[in-house]
Amino acid sequence: MKLIFLIAGDSVRALLHHRLLIALMLVSLVMTIFFSMIMGRTRANISNQFAATEMETNSPVFQKMSADDRKKLDEAMEQGASMVQGFFYAASSFGGSLVALFIFSTAVSSEIRRGTIRLTLSKPVSRLQYLLGKYLGGVAVMAAYAVIASLAILLFSASSHVELSPIMKYAPWLMFCRQLMLGSLAMLLSLFMHPTIGCVIAFVAGNGLYSTSNPLYYLLPSYAPFNVFTQILQGSVLKGNDVVLLTLYAFDFIICMLLLAWWRFRTKEVC
Amino acid sequence: MAAIYTENLTKSFVRFFGGQPETNALKGLNLEVKEGETFGFLGPNGAGKTTTILLLLGLIRPSSGTARLFDQPVGDCRVHRRLGYLPESVNLHDYYTGRGLLEFYAALLGVPSQTRQARIDELLCLLRLEAAAAKSVSKYSKGMLQRLGFAQALLHDPDLLILDEPTASLDPVGRKEFRDILLELKRRGKTIFISSHILSELESVCDRVAILEQGELKRVGSLQELSTGKSTRLVLRQVPGAVLEALSRSPAEVTMLNGQVTVKCVDLAMRDMIDELLRQHGLQPEASAVETQSLENIFLASIGKPPKL
Repeated sequence: MKLIFLIAGDSVRALLHHRLLIALMLVSLVMTIFFSMIMGRTRANISNQFAATEMETNSPVFQKMSADDRKKLDEAMEQGASMVQGFFYAASSFGGSLVALFIFSTAVSSEIRRGTIRLTLSKPVSRLQYLLGKYLGGVAVMAAYAVIASLAILLFSASSHVELSPIMKYAPWLMFCRQLMLGSLAMLLSLFMHPTIGCVIAFVAGNGLYSTSNPLYYLLPSYAPFNVFTQILQGSVLKGNDVVLLTLYAFDFIICMLLLAWWRFRTKEVC
Repeated sequence: MAAIYTENLTKSFVRFFGGQPETNALKGLNLEVKEGETFGFLGPNGAGKTTTILLLLGLIRPSSGTARLFDQPVGDCRVHRRLGYLPESVNLHDYYTGRGLLEFYAALLGVPSQTRQARIDELLCLLRLEAAAAKSVSKYSKGMLQRLGFAQALLHDPDLLILDEPTASLDPVGRKEFRDILLELKRRGKTIFISSHILSELESVCDRVAILEQGELKRVGSLQELSTGKSTRLVLRQVPGAVLEALSRSPAEVTMLNGQVTVKCVDLAMRDMIDELLRQHGLQPEASAVETQSLENIFLASIGKPPKL
């Protein structure tokens, strides 16, 4: 276990020295915040205009409104808030997916390409330990990304006075699970083909191509249930049980992908 | 127990599409390196030296045959505790400092944390890297990378060192220091398997050498065995004209200088024939010497190139 953590630590260190990755993470977070700010500002402008109209006419609009209209207005405002959160989630999720694809697809393949793997595997490190260490290193970086994205949304909602949608408390975790699934598939594919091609296939393969009625859904990855963008917009509530089931699905999938990756890697020639 | 043992070790690199063998990098290599031996592995570029080393490390898989290190299959990573490896082109993680990299590898090798720093200091000093220890590996020169690579191979004081072209990037001073370290390790009974193009280096440290060409083992033996040629040089004085005439008619190479006749016999059959001729005329050679060859000439002869004069 110690060796796995040592490899994972080395992997994190390598990733933190990767300028492209850092740039990708920063751009992803900045873009997320930027788009959410625009959305938040638009929503604030609408609210302000509404308040201004109310003051100019000196006749409180609310007093003229029927109860139904008020309800509709509240719903519209809530929908605006959901839109902001939804876009924040979508942007950070998409950025995170790119980061995950980059991290996991290059974790082993770049070491093979550069030849640094030779020295590591000439030490008493088994290929399984190496692979798990590399995956764990990626998990640590993705966890840090998920924590930063979660903190960003909390800060953003506090500063914009946007009440968080109920599903948002699970969204970062589901996003994290989705990215780990994506990463495990990208890592597996990178052991068979060029990492870039592996990334494209991993991204396309499970992006809502299959429905639960299709038997392939149970064999091939499906990231669709982990994408809660629509639920955020609709203000749906996700039950704890569903989150547990999704988490189990993700872990099950990740374990399968890692076993396949190990099966491939244990006989892969690293020269 | 053999430190390295290979039996009929073969490696063919196969094309991904079609499955046709593309290159037979190694053809049925049988090799045994005893514990405590310093073994030189020679061969021109593309002979299969690095392929053999990669097979010994379990980094690539043999097409057929077996390889064992200390009687353990090469795929068993536990045997790597007894192994130090320096690759031909030293690619190191450049996001560490020199010391940081050694700390990482020492931890992987299970060097106890109590002795780790002392061992790293000792190696940095031995390989003249103390001043660069805190520098990022990305700023190291080729020679420094080679020395740092050698340091990581020595971290756990391994029983077996596998060195692939270890002095390729070193200057003459570095080579001399490297040779001294090898001699010290040899004195301490370590097994050293060294692949190199620099034959003079191998000559000074190796007990035995193997010569590989196009994946085939051409010769293997101690330097004495290999360098002892089959040709003999006989020195004769006061040779009668008739004998001289008979000698000049023989296939032997005859030279005369200041009344001294030197006869060079290239093989044992020729030597027997000359001995018989001299006996018939009641002559005894004044001196006879078996000619020895330099490692370079042995190497060149083994791979079918004319030896240097």
